[in-house]
Amino acid sequence: MTDDRQLSHLLRTALPSVDVPEPSRDLWPDIVQRAGTRERLSAADVSVAAIVVIALLLFPQWFWFLAYHL
Amino acid sequence: MPDGLDGELLERFVQGDQAAFESLFRQFEADVYRWIVRIVRDRSAADDVLVEAFWRAYRGRARFDPTRSFGAWMRRIASNAALDHLRAARTRAGWRTADDRIPSAPPPDRAIEESIAQAFRSLPPRLQIVATLALVEEQPYAEIAEALDLPVGTIKSRVFRATRLLRKKLARLGITP
Repeated sequence: MTDDRQLSHLLRTALPSVDVPEPSRDLWPDIVQRAGTRERLSAADVSVAAIVVIALLLFPQWFWFLAYHL
Repeated sequence: MPDGLDGELLERFVQGDQAAFESLFRQFEADVYRWIVRIVRDRSAADDVLVEAFWRAYRGRARFDPTRSFGAWMRRIASNAALDHLRAARTRAGWRTADDRIPSAPPPDRAIEESIAQAFRSLPPRLQIVATLALVEEQPYAEIAEALDLPVGTIKSRVFRATRLLRKKLARLGITP
């Protein structure tokens, strides 16, 4: 047996296959519920918005530059 | 149509028709679920990843080209959702505090298997996902490449790096395959 085959065999022994053909329950309602909830703003979105507001307060002349690029 | 699907159904899905989305979910749920289970190897986590994957598909439906395979597209989304799960699981594992409950010592053979599994789970997630599919699940490189939307060469190089890193980790534990 080659080294790679041995490693593969070792891994399959340590990580036995999870033979589950389908979810334990109907997950469609969870997806519908997820689709019905509004997406929360991510930290990155909030940071970008904050940076834009601060930049505009400090440098109002950047308005058209930011309006063009954002 | 690549999946033998009705083109109109896919068009309706892209336009946001919920009935079309449910129909696609019912047709692809089992296939996508089995793929996710292969990667995350945990039933309850697979449920969450499945919901996340279909939710991402619905949210990104405008980017889907109805002339392409829905199954292949869905598998790519599911692979990314599973990869994000592995990343989050790794972060959580890193945050565990020292006073976490320590399980009683397992028997020697089981202890070796657990050490191997732990070494495997400590691989960087993008190497772990490729190694799981290639080495444990023995999926063809081309199939893995399609699911992860990466070139076959990248998959081969990641398998090589995962193997090398894993051998180092196992050697440190005194295990030499």
